[in-house]
Amino acid sequence: MAQQPIENEKEKMAPVFAADRILAFLGFFFLFIPGMNPARICEKISNKLSLFTSAVSYSSIVADMKQLFRYGNLNQGSFALLYAGAIVLALGIVVIGAGACISLGNQPMKRISIFVSLPGSVLSLIGLVLIFISHGQISADPNVGPMLPAGVILYTALAVVILVLNLILMVTVPKADSSVSMHMETKYQLFLMFLPFGMLAFVFSYLPLWGWRYSFFDYRSGGELSADNFVGFYWFKYLFENSATRRDIVTVLRNTLAMSGLGLLTSWVPLAFAVFLAEIHNKTFKRFVQTFTTIPNFISWVLVYTVALAIFSTEGFINTFAQARGWIDASTATNYLMGDSHTWLKMLAWGIWKGTGWSAIIYIAGISGIDQQLYEAATVDGAGRFQRMLHVTLPGLMPTYMVMLLLAVAGALSNGLDQYLVFSNASNLEHMQVLDLFVYKLGVEKGSIPLSTVIGMTKSIVSVVLFFVANSISKFVRGESIV
Amino acid sequence: MEEKNFEQNNMQENKQGKLKINVVDDKKGAGRKDRKAGDIVFYIVDYAFFIVFTLACLFPFYYLFINTISAPEFVGRGEINFIPRGFTLENYIALTSVSDLGRSVVVTIARTILGTALMVAASSFVGYLVTKEEMWHRKFWYRFLVITMYFNAGLIPWYLNMLMLGLTDSFAAYIIPGIVAPYNIILVKTYIESIPGELQESAFIDGASYMTVFRKIIWPLSKPILATIAIFGAVGNWNSFQDSLILMPNAVELHTLQHKLYVYLNQSTNLASVMNTGGTSSSVLNFAVNGKIVKYTISMVSIIPILCVYPFLQNYFEEGIMLGAVKG
Repeated sequence: MAQQPIENEKEKMAPVFAADRILAFLGFFFLFIPGMNPARICEKISNKLSLFTSAVSYSSIVADMKQLFRYGNLNQGSFALLYAGAIVLALGIVVIGAGACISLGNQPMKRISIFVSLPGSVLSLIGLVLIFISHGQISADPNVGPMLPAGVILYTALAVVILVLNLILMVTVPKADSSVSMHMETKYQLFLMFLPFGMLAFVFSYLPLWGWRYSFFDYRSGGELSADNFVGFYWFKYLFENSATRRDIVTVLRNTLAMSGLGLLTSWVPLAFAVFLAEIHNKTFKRFVQTFTTIPNFISWVLVYTVALAIFSTEGFINTFAQARGWIDASTATNYLMGDSHTWLKMLAWGIWKGTGWSAIIYIAGISGIDQQLYEAATVDGAGRFQRMLHVTLPGLMPTYMVMLLLAVAGALSNGLDQYLVFSNASNLEHMQVLDLFVYKLGVEKGSIPLSTVIGMTKSIVSVVLFFVANSISKFVRGESIV
Repeated sequence: MEEKNFEQNNMQENKQGKLKINVVDDKKGAGRKDRKAGDIVFYIVDYAFFIVFTLACLFPFYYLFINTISAPEFVGRGEINFIPRGFTLENYIALTSVSDLGRSVVVTIARTILGTALMVAASSFVGYLVTKEEMWHRKFWYRFLVITMYFNAGLIPWYLNMLMLGLTDSFAAYIIPGIVAPYNIILVKTYIESIPGELQESAFIDGASYMTVFRKIIWPLSKPILATIAIFGAVGNWNSFQDSLILMPNAVELHTLQHKLYVYLNQSTNLASVMNTGGTSSSVLNFAVNGKIVKYTISMVSIIPILCVYPFLQNYFEEGIMLGAVKG
């Protein structure tokens, strides 16, 4: 009965704790967003710097200021102060976050969380003051383009609100009964254990989506995104209206779909490989074949290219072998890797060479899972070898094959970059440039970030749609989804 | 007991029956010889196909290898095709004079060990956590992880993100993004679900915490699958070159072995330029003359570790890929 009022109090304060947690999460999230970096107190500091990065490395803050330090009147001390402020602020945010996590526990833990969050918010405010002071110190110098970033206001607001919330909580949440030991519900315990990994997944898989905004700006490397260079769907139109780009896109799509199409047309190869390997009864031989045909899957495309050089280049195996026999002479030696004849087929062949043994494993395992009695029954009914393959083995493997095929359809726009990057050269680029390679060349080599983002974004969206279509087909036909 | 015996008897009978049928079949006059001949032809073709395919997979590596251990004068004349001649290890010794190669080997080994260890630790722990129904919104968080396998923002947004996080030109870019690997988490989760639940339950009844159960029960029992993902991870790390190519424009000292190899392969000039030919030792000169041997030797250096560990670990792969085929 004595517990009752405390329980009531806890219920009443639940929304305040929830608000505290949301704010703590926001503060933590903005740590990684450069646009929200309160430490960017002048234009000389890169706009790609997040508060987290600023707090981790001093050199990243002053990266563009070496000149100014050397010649000028710029005081390095201000930036050291800024760095210290960033560290204190980041630390404060982490402490607030820890407090928010602890507040998921029972009454005594909630009480503790208040006394963690309070100093956390004070720490953040101290950090902000340091940043503000260093801003004051450099604001006289027009060379660095002093400015007060939105992040300062945002973080000040966050820290103040969190401070106030926790002060309220301190007053309203009664002291915990010392007989109640600290405890947290299992579901929250498990969630907190998961949280760091969830954040990693978020930062590296979801946060890149934020980069899609570049496709709506006229952005040049090192520049800024602002209302001034917002161009709406300009780049999307540009893709179709600029005739040179349009021609490129058509070529690239042709290559991409051709390569994927050829891949789909030969997707039965691993299946056949497995089926015919199953007909061999010598275990040692089977093992030998399986071991060595899977090796190419485990070497990188760069190494595959070395292999290609060793066999097919002018000084490779085929040419030297033929020369040694006198079939050709040195002057007629051909480099089979140059030139643009049968480029698609060559790439397909390399793909098959590299992937067949590996892809076959899943079918080999599938065959060993087929009931032997089916084979016996088929034999009794007079089925020959090929009839058994056709009527027992293949139907048994069909579900697996369908899943693989649907996944391949969903991935039709992603041929991968490595293979085409290493095998491409000036002479065969016309047939080699697939979407992934095109985006790489456009974005990384030519630095046309908005346009390559537009293409990559469109590709991602189409791929996701294709995947869901494939998944629905699978659901409809087999009554089972892929994922 | 009896039933089992009966079944076994039955099966034996079946086998005999089958044999009989075969005999009967074979006795059906003219068919017999044809069939035998057909079988033999089939086996010859089947074996021949697999022998040729396996050789096609093996020979290039063998060819590279014999060229790197043969005397340069034979290699230069293109005489090494099937049998090594004039055995020498000079090529491998001379590699030590290729500038920066040693450092990229160290970087690659470091990222392989560190990246794989962290990835395996994280995958096993997260894989264990997502099997726990009690977790707050478990289904949502599990999907949150799995969905990332089926979409990605694209190369440039990925690069901009890494830039934004300050992970360009830093070794951490090789390690941190790879820690959470959804596919491997699915493998571990599926595997843990196949371990009888009673083992965990009895431990919980005895008062063990989640961490204790993980350390004392789950970790030891899931070693086979952890070995599998460790191999996947190690091979992936060892072979990776895209991240090195795109994220390390200024930090040449952080380039991985594959990246270095890619650069060397694309160098049109004689590779003598990358050698510290301060001394005029004959081995270095010989070596420099043959640019292609340098390429072959570097390739062998990066292939040999994979070839060495590979055959021993093959059993694990099959297990892993089968588990992956099971719905996540």
